[in-house]
Amino acid sequence: MSLRQRLVPYGLLGPGLLWLVLFFVVPMYFMGELALRSGTLTTGYSFDWAWSNFPDSLSGHTEQIGRSFFYAGTATVLCLLISYPLAYAIAFRAGRYRTLLLFAVIAPFFTTYLIRTIAWKTILSDSSPVVSVLQTLSLVPPGGRVLATSGAVIAGLTYNFLPFMILPLYANLERLDLRLIEAAKDLYSSSRQAFLRVTLPLTMPGIVAGILLTFIPAFGDYINAQLLGGTQQAMVGNVIQSLYLNQRDYPEAAALSFLMMALILVIVLAYIRVAGTGAFMESEEETS
Amino acid sequence: MVGGRVKTLVLAVATLAVAMGLAACGDGTVGGGREGEITTAKAGNVTGKLTISTWPGYIDPGKEGTVKEFEKETGVKVDYIEDVNENEGFFGKLQPQLEQGQSGGRSIFVVTDWMAKQMYDLGYLQEINHDDLPTVFENLLPSLQSPAFDPERKFSVPWQSGMGGIWVDTAKAPRIKSVNDLFDPKYKGKVTMLAELRETVPLVMLAEGIDPVEASNEDWLNAIERIKAASDSGQIRRFTGNDYNEDLNAGNIVAAIGWSGDASIIENENAEWRMPTEGCSLWSDNMVIPVGAPNTAAALGWMDFAYQPEVAVDITEYVEYISPVEGVKELLEGRGSELAESQLTFPTEQFTRNCTDQDSPPDLEPVNEAWQEVITG
Repeated sequence: MSLRQRLVPYGLLGPGLLWLVLFFVVPMYFMGELALRSGTLTTGYSFDWAWSNFPDSLSGHTEQIGRSFFYAGTATVLCLLISYPLAYAIAFRAGRYRTLLLFAVIAPFFTTYLIRTIAWKTILSDSSPVVSVLQTLSLVPPGGRVLATSGAVIAGLTYNFLPFMILPLYANLERLDLRLIEAAKDLYSSSRQAFLRVTLPLTMPGIVAGILLTFIPAFGDYINAQLLGGTQQAMVGNVIQSLYLNQRDYPEAAALSFLMMALILVIVLAYIRVAGTGAFMESEEETS
Repeated sequence: MVGGRVKTLVLAVATLAVAMGLAACGDGTVGGGREGEITTAKAGNVTGKLTISTWPGYIDPGKEGTVKEFEKETGVKVDYIEDVNENEGFFGKLQPQLEQGQSGGRSIFVVTDWMAKQMYDLGYLQEINHDDLPTVFENLLPSLQSPAFDPERKFSVPWQSGMGGIWVDTAKAPRIKSVNDLFDPKYKGKVTMLAELRETVPLVMLAEGIDPVEASNEDWLNAIERIKAASDSGQIRRFTGNDYNEDLNAGNIVAAIGWSGDASIIENENAEWRMPTEGCSLWSDNMVIPVGAPNTAAALGWMDFAYQPEVAVDITEYVEYISPVEGVKELLEGRGSELAESQLTFPTEQFTRNCTDQDSPPDLEPVNEAWQEVITG
């Protein structure tokens, strides 16, 4: 190989690498450095290896971290339960309405996230028809409410992150070779068995990608808790926002952000290990 | 394979080196206030573009409104942004820019007394020469000419004043008259409070018979403890900024701690602002000119414009807060407006006899930390 040939891959990597350095490595470095500073707004924050920011940022906030797991986890499961049949229907049963349905999935993105969430405040307000129907069905106690409860926050997260689950699932299902299901049926499998032993394993990459794309942003979200939640529904994102904007404890805010990022990374790695890299990286499975 | 690993390692090290090199360009300390001389806002021809950041419901933004009138009279194009929902959040958003001597393109902020002082102390504001604002200082009410936080009005010009008290939905909870009533289990989950530390906590202290001006840190923390218990039990539905009007409009709540002049953004016909029996908090929101503000000449022009009694009376008629401009009451009487007789727009000394000026706790940091823990409970 000539020198030029050997350099080509690096040249092609260049733009991506530059992007990563500028928009990932550099901000991470600054955030890490900020997390090790101490001081106040009036004295300024000086760098003094203040490792104590890390344990400090966790103290008193474990409840919100646990709550974030619970909310984001529940929303992810709900998203999966709603999305799978929907993506399946769009991929195999929609016929000529397929494009229209896909468009309907993406259409909410034409309105900003904030406006969509605020719209739910009106839909779920205490005297709204939706809430009175829920009360009639005894899903909400009489005189009870939906807005400013955990349920509203989880519903908001589910609604807002649903497309992130539907799209990877759809992309995956759409490529499914239907002849494999026919083959399974030829081999006397029931529809249920064919689904569990053929369709589901083959769509694992879509499920894993969907879960990651939904859970990670939902975990860090603070808009839903702020707008749809009440006094006992703050998530870790709200804590970081308060540390940063209201207490202006920049170092602790940076430390908490860092810890949450590390925590998510560990969970994702563990998850991929369990779900199998094969499921995550389809190509490897095919070659193995 | 080994070769590949070495390359990766080299790349990683190189990347880190670049990042550290970039970081080294910054100076040692972050924050701590801006260094350098405090400048005075430059006067000049009132033209060009003007960006104002303020609270919602503070002006008539319509076609016949005050902003349009100013644009017509001067030719200045005004970008009037209502992005101040609470002092802390607004300050937190802009602080990093102000530290760099930039105002985010804004020429005027409207913030509460204590926040104006905090910004000034950090070197984030420009001073104002009284000679550049003849109309303002001719018409400014004597009672507002030398407030404790800015005795010479060096950096702040009042926009409107108001009172912190209780908004009550009189159809649903006619008996709420005191902040203590907000803790009544009858109204569980139907009450909101402001997330502003200096508004909500002093009102609760007043309800307990403690004078907020004399209050110790202990008193502040005790009041916060009481609010925390109410928050934990679900008594308080949520903590709000100026957006408490949404819950009141939607009928989600029966009462809220809120501001006296917000009638213009409250559409619930049964809603009424009430002076708590134990007293209210008094404050002003002030126009300030931040460092790095573009077109300070237009900013000064705007201030002077708003202090003409004929303009100020339009503002009062629309916003229903307390005007800082002399002569507004007479003009309103001339128009036959009920507001001329209202205690909310022209409170008498008798009406506000138990009220206190908004103040900060003696030692802010631990109190604010305890408070924020309640807000993000």
